[in-house]
Amino acid sequence: MSRWVLGEFRSPERMVEAARALRASGFLRLDAHTPYPVEDVDAVLGLPTSRLPLLALLAGVGGAVGAYVVQWFTQAVDWPLNVGGRPLHSGPAFIPITFESAVLAAAGSIFLGVIVACGLPRVTHPFLHLEAFRSASIDGFWLAVAVDGSEGVDAAEGALRQLGAAVVLAVEGRR
Amino acid sequence: MSEPLPLAPVTADPLVVHPLLEERRPDAQLGEALLRPVLTAPGMGWWALVGVCAALTVLLAVAITITFVTGVGTWGNNIPVAWAFGIINFVWWIGIGHAGTLISAILLLFGMKWRSSVNRMAEAMTLFALVCAALFPLLHLGRPWKFYYLVPYPSSLRMWPQFRSPLTWDVVAITTYLTVSVLFWYLGLLPDLATARDTAKQVWRRRVWGLLSLGWRGSARHWRHWRTGYLLLAGLATPLVVSVHTIVSFDFAVAQLPGWHSTVFPPYFVAGAIFSGLAMVLSLLIPARRALHLHAVVTQAHLDALARLLLVSGLFVAYGYVQEHFFGWYSGSPYEMHAMNILRTGPYAPAFWTVFACNVLVPQLFWSARLRTQPVVLWCAALLVNVGMWLERFIIIVSPLSEDFLPSSWRHYAPTWVDLSLLSGTVGLFGLGFLLFLRFLPPIPISEVKELQHELEASEAFAHDVSAREGGAR
Repeated sequence: MSRWVLGEFRSPERMVEAARALRASGFLRLDAHTPYPVEDVDAVLGLPTSRLPLLALLAGVGGAVGAYVVQWFTQAVDWPLNVGGRPLHSGPAFIPITFESAVLAAAGSIFLGVIVACGLPRVTHPFLHLEAFRSASIDGFWLAVAVDGSEGVDAAEGALRQLGAAVVLAVEGRR
Repeated sequence: MSEPLPLAPVTADPLVVHPLLEERRPDAQLGEALLRPVLTAPGMGWWALVGVCAALTVLLAVAITITFVTGVGTWGNNIPVAWAFGIINFVWWIGIGHAGTLISAILLLFGMKWRSSVNRMAEAMTLFALVCAALFPLLHLGRPWKFYYLVPYPSSLRMWPQFRSPLTWDVVAITTYLTVSVLFWYLGLLPDLATARDTAKQVWRRRVWGLLSLGWRGSARHWRHWRTGYLLLAGLATPLVVSVHTIVSFDFAVAQLPGWHSTVFPPYFVAGAIFSGLAMVLSLLIPARRALHLHAVVTQAHLDALARLLLVSGLFVAYGYVQEHFFGWYSGSPYEMHAMNILRTGPYAPAFWTVFACNVLVPQLFWSARLRTQPVVLWCAALLVNVGMWLERFIIIVSPLSEDFLPSSWRHYAPTWVDLSLLSGTVGLFGLGFLLFLRFLPPIPISEVKELQHELEASEAFAHDVSAREGGAR
């Protein structure tokens, strides 16, 4: 069981300020939920940059090497077929498929990477049961503070109210 | 004086000069307005169009069944015109798809703010165009049920695909392009599906959109990965667009046939693809904008930008024509010269001059700023370009084949009703897909428009601030 305290703000700027103030007063397990990506929030929450580019690079190189090896093996090793005296290992003719396979592998890994890194797909989440939290994808800017025990809940609620949150809610459930 | 004033005049801020959104609304209202097409019942016009498109799709099914049961002999192509509608339609449809990726990926990379209002529709167009395109290579195989022979799987026949053949290149290129387009589109849709889930009143809608949105909660962590992933996919899709149509042009350029064996083909085909795709975007966007009352988000600035792109890509295409004919003549080869001459004066001259009028002359209208923002003019021009680009593929493919090296084997081509049904059927399938998309998924990227509105407001506030300070300084 995990516990959170959620607070809704009416504008992204206020939410960012509140997040900064919360971190300054010692609440470190924070997350923001917004209808569109908000500038500065990553820096305020101290999130590292995504490592998806590295994953994409590795997958792309893997796809290219795999495709080239398959073409070379099938055309030049396993079943050599002499078409008009052309070389069996005809590199230039293998380039199109090699390139396309690199892109396919990289794109597939990026998509799966985003899904896995975001902890999706999941159909239920404690937050999604809250009627008020529906505004998180419409016009509400929410801060979520992960807390332990009931004192934590009280402290976080107090802090969020003081920072001007329009709605403050406590939730618990499986993360 | 506290802060130094910015050096550049603030009116040059691109976000303020071009009205990318014609009005400002609170986020909740904006979201609801953009979701209205999917939340309210469709009108009679939608049903009528669905009826027409569904009828054409049935025609497509009939034509495909006949092709499967009797064989490709039901098509008009035969030696020497061994390729015709199957490839023409394939190249046309796949070219149409390219503008969707261009608008959404290349403009994203270049940070063009105006893409946000049109990219979702353009991407949907790409998907349905690709589905239509992918049908044709399968159908023209002759034994379409053996399509899996093109995949390198270790069969007991020890039969590998011939990877030096453009046919296998095509298969890999289309599969990759379709897959990447779907992933890019779906990743872009995720936040909006969550908005739809949270806006919907009925339980069943919430459930369907809830499942589709995969539990998106718009967390800062989500957005961080999402933005990186979206940008990376755009970066991958950009060279992909160029490569796919380059490979399509290799189908021709690697052949020895006069009129096809030309190094100008890859860039010329890519330009033509983007040109025809932009025309199709305009053909769909202008009626959809009107029917769904999207004037506030798809503004005249968007039409203007698309018309400029149409003009530029039209000039590239015109350059391609000049090159093609110049090198036909400059080669000194009588066969090459003949291949170009029959276009201008031979049996294909009417088609060629129609192509010239539609693809070279019509886009020149858009040098005029006034015409660029006239929806009716733009729409008619876009339709003409669509026709012109189809005819261009027709003459590229049919005319060199019908009169090649040996005059005794010359023969001209006429399509059969099955050919014509396949073409009109795919138009119906495409239209049906697009209509259903407009009905069931948010046609305008809601989160991106909200973000854009926020940026615009910040930008306007900044401009206001500075002009107030400047006024005070004076």
